[in-house]
Amino acid sequence: MQLSVNGRRREVAYPDELLVWVLRDELGLTGTHYGCGIGACGSCTVLLDGQVARACLTPARAAAGREVTTVEGLAHGEQLHPVQRAFLENPLQCGWCLPGHLMSAAALLERTPNPTDAQIKEAAGVNLCRCGGYNAIRRAVARAAELKREDG
Amino acid sequence: MKPVTRRRVLIGLGSGAGLLVVGVPLALNAGRPAIVDYIEENGTGPQDAPRNPDLWFEVTPAGVTFFVPKIEMGQGIHTALAQIAAEELEVTPEQLTVRQADTARGYAGGTMFTFGSTSVKALYRPLREAAATLRELLREEAARQLGVPATRLTAAGGSFFVAGSRERIGYAQVVAGKQGEWVIPEATPALKARREFKRIGRAMPRTDFRDKVLGTATYGYDARLPGMLFGAVARPPRFGARLVSASAGAAGRQPGVVRVVIDAGAGFAGVVARTRTQARAALPSLDLRWEGGTTASSADLDAQIQAGSGSVLRRRGNVRAALSGGTVVQGEYRTPLAAHAHLEPLAALADVKAGGRIEVWASTQYPQMVIDDLRDVFGKDREVLVHPTQLGGGFGRKAGQHAALEAARLSAAVGKPVHVGWTREEDLQHAFYRPPTHHVLRGSVDPDGRLRGVEQFTAGGDIIWGQTGIPEFVRDALGFDPGGLLGQFMPYDFPAYRVVNRREALPVPTGYWRGLGVLPNTFALESFMDELAHAAGADPLAFRLQHLGSGEDGRRLRGVLERAAQAAGWGTPLPAGRARGVACCLDLGTASALVAEVSVQEGRVQVHRVTVAVDPGLVINPDGARLQAQGSVMMALSSALHEELTIQDGRVVESNFDRYRLLPMRDAPPVEVLLVESGDEPQGMGEPVMGPAAAAVANAVFTLTGERLRTLPLRPGQG
Ligand code: FES
Ligand code: FES
Repeated sequence: MQLSVNGRRREVAYPDELLVWVLRDELGLTGTHYGCGIGACGSCTVLLDGQVARACLTPARAAAGREVTTVEGLAHGEQLHPVQRAFLENPLQCGWCLPGHLMSAAALLERTPNPTDAQIKEAAGVNLCRCGGYNAIRRAVARAAELKREDG
Repeated sequence: MKPVTRRRVLIGLGSGAGLLVVGVPLALNAGRPAIVDYIEENGTGPQDAPRNPDLWFEVTPAGVTFFVPKIEMGQGIHTALAQIAAEELEVTPEQLTVRQADTARGYAGGTMFTFGSTSVKALYRPLREAAATLRELLREEAARQLGVPATRLTAAGGSFFVAGSRERIGYAQVVAGKQGEWVIPEATPALKARREFKRIGRAMPRTDFRDKVLGTATYGYDARLPGMLFGAVARPPRFGARLVSASAGAAGRQPGVVRVVIDAGAGFAGVVARTRTQARAALPSLDLRWEGGTTASSADLDAQIQAGSGSVLRRRGNVRAALSGGTVVQGEYRTPLAAHAHLEPLAALADVKAGGRIEVWASTQYPQMVIDDLRDVFGKDREVLVHPTQLGGGFGRKAGQHAALEAARLSAAVGKPVHVGWTREEDLQHAFYRPPTHHVLRGSVDPDGRLRGVEQFTAGGDIIWGQTGIPEFVRDALGFDPGGLLGQFMPYDFPAYRVVNRREALPVPTGYWRGLGVLPNTFALESFMDELAHAAGADPLAFRLQHLGSGEDGRRLRGVLERAAQAAGWGTPLPAGRARGVACCLDLGTASALVAEVSVQEGRVQVHRVTVAVDPGLVINPDGARLQAQGSVMMALSSALHEELTIQDGRVVESNFDRYRLLPMRDAPPVEVLLVESGDEPQGMGEPVMGPAAAAVANAVFTLTGERLRTLPLRPGQG
């Protein structure tokens, strides 16, 4: 089976396994993290055709025919995505939760370019940060919205 | 790896020109500047590459590389240590490449152990000395090459500038042009005074974060090698159960399985497969018989943890007399078993070469433990190289983990690299935990509002004893666990005080958890201080201030209490249904005070705003310090509001985050951090601020509702 990941076609040998392991262990895209396997922490968040999805609950097969975007696919070459730049300005601590926050924020800003604080909180949903970087996450997402507007 | 020698070697020249390697072993406890000791001990001159260095620098034409001997788990230690080094090296952050030291470039048995908020505190001076010495080595050589006196050279931005001329020479050029022996300065160079600092005390970009936003940082769970396989390991059904018989059963025939690996004597049974999913899926097909183990439940643990007797840790004045008068107050507090729940579960990759070197990449705070684990099984003299990775959180749990050994057993059996990554279920159910505690307090206040005395009984499960091989009779003879002493004593000045502490070995593994005793103890003591204030009819803030001593501790606590109270608007009106609570804490040299503003809705505590003032002596990186403080507050709030593990029939009930709740974004209040710098030496920053949040919240709830919550997690209306 083939998957389209970050704009590249990739051959997948274990289509019945969960997307999180196919991405991480088979395709070597370890930027998508595992934290719970039950959809309760958000560390594995990826985009499927631009919509957030938990890779730990998604069989790889279910992603066939859709565009999978992972944290590795956010930047365009050297040009970082606004959410990446915003988190560089507002870093968290260990960063294990970060891909989930980056992907959720990227999806949020696509549909809601000017999110309110409540919308930012809402979009974070189950995405946990055990290091307690919630204040920084809120600042970063708000900042990302600004950067995205500046980018035009 | 060669056997550990204590031979101290300062300088190694790389093969070929253009490489200067400086390795610095530290005698951290020496009274004299550490660097002087080993220079004297070892002389100078070109020597072998350093062995067992604590600090390792390489200067090449590409710049200066600092191999950081501490492990980055999100605390920002690589950045903080880099800026300390850059300060004396006189390089810009861009000119300093920061890499994690592996066990060939760092002393696994010493400095690499990353724990107890000690990193900056312990390395602050020796790292500056080492960096200054390296700079002076370079200066002498630069002077020789330029034919000018060294005193005419000024170091800045990775170059030496010749006074009164436009001539300059870069560090890399100095190394490239080096001939003959390096001359180590006779004395430790004078260190910069605080007012001369250009990097220390300023914000600096995090050295680890660009890779993290790109998704390219390598954590233990991400370590990869060509041709690697994946492993999974069977876990006992109960704490303490023994594997009495084991065979492969049908596991070997499951899809993708490469090898079943059994060492029943060692209690080990695991599977290697092509994919992680296959390895895990095959585990239930192993034929394993476990016996014994505990059948304890949470109620049994609580019954075992009973304060009321034990070692007398502090005694001043006559407590009996003090408690026989005034208004007597009593409070009994409990905190539960809790998990670390670092978001990256335990993980390691091992590559065991038959009869040869074992190389591992592990998410560990304690590389020496990995080495010891491996040598216990593979032989005392076995060459082991540990690459600590980035850690997705540690909180003490990764100071005691054996995933690297599991991966190595499997790798040895298949002759290929094997990765083991724990599931969340394994991580929550097969760990060691923050032990439950019990605190019984009695105190008395005079009619004029002065605290007369306090009698304090504490009991808790083992912390440090729980993770070391110290026999029970020794632990018993000592009577208390040193980890339980953190936050153990009320920092106030009053005539009579007696503290009695008792430790217990529980049938459930317990050990280090961020801050050790500081969260449970501070919850109890600062809640009780509030009870005393109310009994005295005093404002809780004023009561605390009134009872602070005139010494250094009292002065620093006063500083943070006043700062936090002022910023939080203590004493100013709040909207209906809200109240504030205050608490403070002195731990590992750092004073903190916290004001929480809360409401209670339908039996749930909501924290709306937190203001915390922290005095860690000297701040290296204000952004990093703020993140550490905010992170500590959030983790403490998570404990205060949600976290509790239940034991049933010798097992942990909560297997994942659906049942073991962590503070989510929607409940996370804004946390304002105020940094107070009252000293010239940095103190602990990673854990002390775990102390005050739980009590401040409980104290606010009391002010609001009149209900005194004495058990964590805080559940209003449920006693
Ligand atoms: S790993 Fe998918 S939500 Fe936690
Ligand atoms: S930064 Fe560590 S979990 Fe979020």
